[in-house]
Amino acid sequence: MGVDLGSTTAKTVILDGGGSVVAARIVQMGAVSREGLRRSVEGALEAAGLSMPDIAYTIGTGYGRRLVPGVGRTFTEITCHARGVSAICPGVRLVIDIGGQDSKVIAVDDRGLVDDFAMNDRCASGTGRFYEVLARALECEMSQIGDLAMKGTRDLEVSSLCATFAETEIISLLAEGASREDIAASVHRAVAHRVLGLVALVGVREPIVMTGGVANNRAAVHFLAKALDRPLQVPPDPQITGALGAALLALDTTGARATQGDLSMLEKVEREVESAFVPANRFMPTCATCSGDLDDEKNGSLRGMPIRSSGRASLGLTKPG
Amino acid sequence: MTKQSRDAIAELAGVAENPDEYIAQWKRDKNRKVVGLMPMNFPAEIAHAAGALPVVIQQKRTPITIGNNRLTEFHCGYTRSVADQAAKKELGLYDGFMLADHCIQLLGASDIIRDESPEVPMYFGQLISSMGDPWSREQILKKMMSFVREIENFTGRMIHESDLQNSIQLFNENRRLLRQIFDARRAGDVTFKPSELQAFVKSSMVMDKQEHSALLRQVLETAAARPSGAGLIKLHISGHFCHAPKTELLELIEDCGAIIVDDDLFHGTRYISTDIGESKAPIEALADWYLDRNVAAPCPTRVQHDVDWDRYLLNLVAESGAEGLVVLMAKFCEPHMLYYPELRKALNARGIPHVLIETEHEGIPVETIRTRIEAMLERIRRKEPSAA
Repeated sequence: MGVDLGSTTAKTVILDGGGSVVAARIVQMGAVSREGLRRSVEGALEAAGLSMPDIAYTIGTGYGRRLVPGVGRTFTEITCHARGVSAICPGVRLVIDIGGQDSKVIAVDDRGLVDDFAMNDRCASGTGRFYEVLARALECEMSQIGDLAMKGTRDLEVSSLCATFAETEIISLLAEGASREDIAASVHRAVAHRVLGLVALVGVREPIVMTGGVANNRAAVHFLAKALDRPLQVPPDPQITGALGAALLALDTTGARATQGDLSMLEKVEREVESAFVPANRFMPTCATCSGDLDDEKNGSLRGMPIRSSGRASLGLTKPG
Repeated sequence: MTKQSRDAIAELAGVAENPDEYIAQWKRDKNRKVVGLMPMNFPAEIAHAAGALPVVIQQKRTPITIGNNRLTEFHCGYTRSVADQAAKKELGLYDGFMLADHCIQLLGASDIIRDESPEVPMYFGQLISSMGDPWSREQILKKMMSFVREIENFTGRMIHESDLQNSIQLFNENRRLLRQIFDARRAGDVTFKPSELQAFVKSSMVMDKQEHSALLRQVLETAAARPSGAGLIKLHISGHFCHAPKTELLELIEDCGAIIVDDDLFHGTRYISTDIGESKAPIEALADWYLDRNVAAPCPTRVQHDVDWDRYLLNLVAESGAEGLVVLMAKFCEPHMLYYPELRKALNARGIPHVLIETEHEGIPVETIRTRIEAMLERIRRKEPSAA
C-alpha cells in the first residue's frame, strides 16, 4: 500500500502482489489531516475488500508521511512521483508536480530514478492554494477557474504572484474594469512563467508529465505547455501518482518478504529494504491500453490509463524477466 | 566520556548560548574593555594584545522588533538582528566596535549601532578585497598598523611586539585545537553533534582564548572514544558567512539519515582555517594571514584570480568523501547569492548531488527542508556511485 498525505489531500493506492492496482482513493481534507488520512486508507481498503492485516507493507509519502499508521518506511514525494510516473509513462524525463502547497520539478533518468529536482521554498505562488485564492477573488468555484481562464483573450500585467497579495491585485484589476476571464487567463499565464523558473533549475527534458491536483486544471496545463513550448502529458488521475509510486516502492522492496500484518516482522523486512533498491529488482509496467510510448499516436495522451479512484483496476504491471 | 569532558562541553555550550553572561562576568573579573567585532576578518589578536576581550558579535534568536524600523527587510538576518540588539540597547556590554569588511549590510548595522550609541567608539578600517594586486599587501600592512593604533587609543595601552606575538601564539593554539576536532570528524574518528561543534567555535569567538583552549583540551581527552555513525550518508555543509546557522537545522539534516563530515561555515572550519606565522614580525604575519586565509578557505567577498571557492569546495568534498552537499544561504546575503550560480555549475559538472536551503532569522520551514534533504539522500542512496 502507498499512502500520500499531502497538504490538502490524502491519497491511498493498494497493489496486489503482481503490481495491479486493487484500489485507489483520494480524499480532500484540511491541512495534513489525520481524519482525511483515515478516510483515504479505510476507503481504499473497503473498495478492495481488505483490512489492514491483509496489507503486506505500507510506504508513506507526502508532507504527513510520518503520520501514516502502520507505515513501514517513508519516502519523499519526489522519489515517489518519479517512481509512480515512470510506471505509468515509461520514458518520462521530467515531472512537474503542483500540489496544494508546493511545486516540484523532478528530472527522471532512464531507470525512473530521480536525477535532480527543484521545489518552491515557502512561497505558495502557483500552487493549489494560490488558485483557491484566485477563485475566491473572482467569485467562482475552483472547478470553474480553468474554464474561465480559457476564455480570456487579453494579457494583463500581473505584478504580484504572492498568494497573500494576489487577492488585492485581482481586486484592483477588477476595479479597473478588467474581465474575470482576462484576469484568470493572465494569472494562469504569469504562474506558468514562474514555474518555468523552477524548470530552468533542473533543465528542460522531454517527455514532460504534469501531476498533482493543479494538473486537473486544464488552463494551468494549457498555459504551462505554452510557456514551455512543449507538450505536457497528464496521467488520468494526476493526484494519485505519488501514492502509486509509494505502493510500487513497497512492492519493489518487499516482494514476497511480506509482514502479512505482523508488525514484529517489520524490523526484519526493514533490514532487507535498502538492499532491494537496485533497478534490477524493480517492477516495471506494461501498460494495458497503450504502448507506453508517449508519442504513441493512438494514445497521444495518457488520459484513459486504467487507474481508477476506487475499485479494482489493472495496470498490468509485470516484473521484468 | 569522562565527567570532565561532559562538563567542558556543557560550559562551552553555555557560553555559545548566552555570550552576554560570559562577557559580563569577564568584565567584572578583569575590569578591562570588551571590543565587539563584526565578522569576518578583523584580526582579534590585536585587541587581545592590548588586554581587551575581542568578541565576534553574535546573532540573537529573539524576534526582531523595534530594529525592524532601522534596517529594511532586505538585509540579512544577522545584520537585522544586530540592528535590533542596538535599538533595544542590548549591546551595552561592548566598549567599542571594530570592523574590517566592506559589506553594505554590515555597514548598515554599524550605522545603527553608531546612531543608537554615539558615545561608543566605532572604527571601520576596510581591508582590501582585491587580494592579488601589486599594492594589495602594502595596503593590508597599512591597515593592520591602523588597527593597532585604533586599539591602542581605544584601550589606552601600548601594544608591544611581544604582546602581539604572545596573542598570536595563543590564538594559533586555539585554532589548532579546534582543527584537531574538525579533522577527527572528517576522518570519522569522532562524532560530535553539529550543535556541539558549533558551540565550540561560537564560544571561541566569545571567550578568552586561554580559557577556551583549556576547555577544548578537556573535550579532546575523550573525543577519540566516541565512534562515528556508520551507514549514514556523508554530507558537506557549505556557506553561511557571518553568523551561525540554527543548530536545529543542522540536526534536522543529520536526522534525515546523514552525517555532516565537513563544512566551510564561518561558525565552522572557515573561522579556524589559517594560522598566523609565529616567526615573522607580527604585523607582517597578520598581513600574510589575511592573504593566506583567502587561499585556505576562499571567500566570495574577495577577488583573487587564481583562487576560487568552487574549486576549493570540490577538493574538500573529494577529501572528506562527502556524497552530497547542502548549501546554506542566509537570505539576502548578496556575495553568496551572486556566487551561487558558479557553485551550482561546478557541482553539477562534477555530478555532486546538492541542495540549496535559504535560511532566515525568523523560523525554519522544517517539513519543507526535511523533504528536500530526504529527497537528496534518497537520490544518493538509490544511485550507483558512478551515476551519482
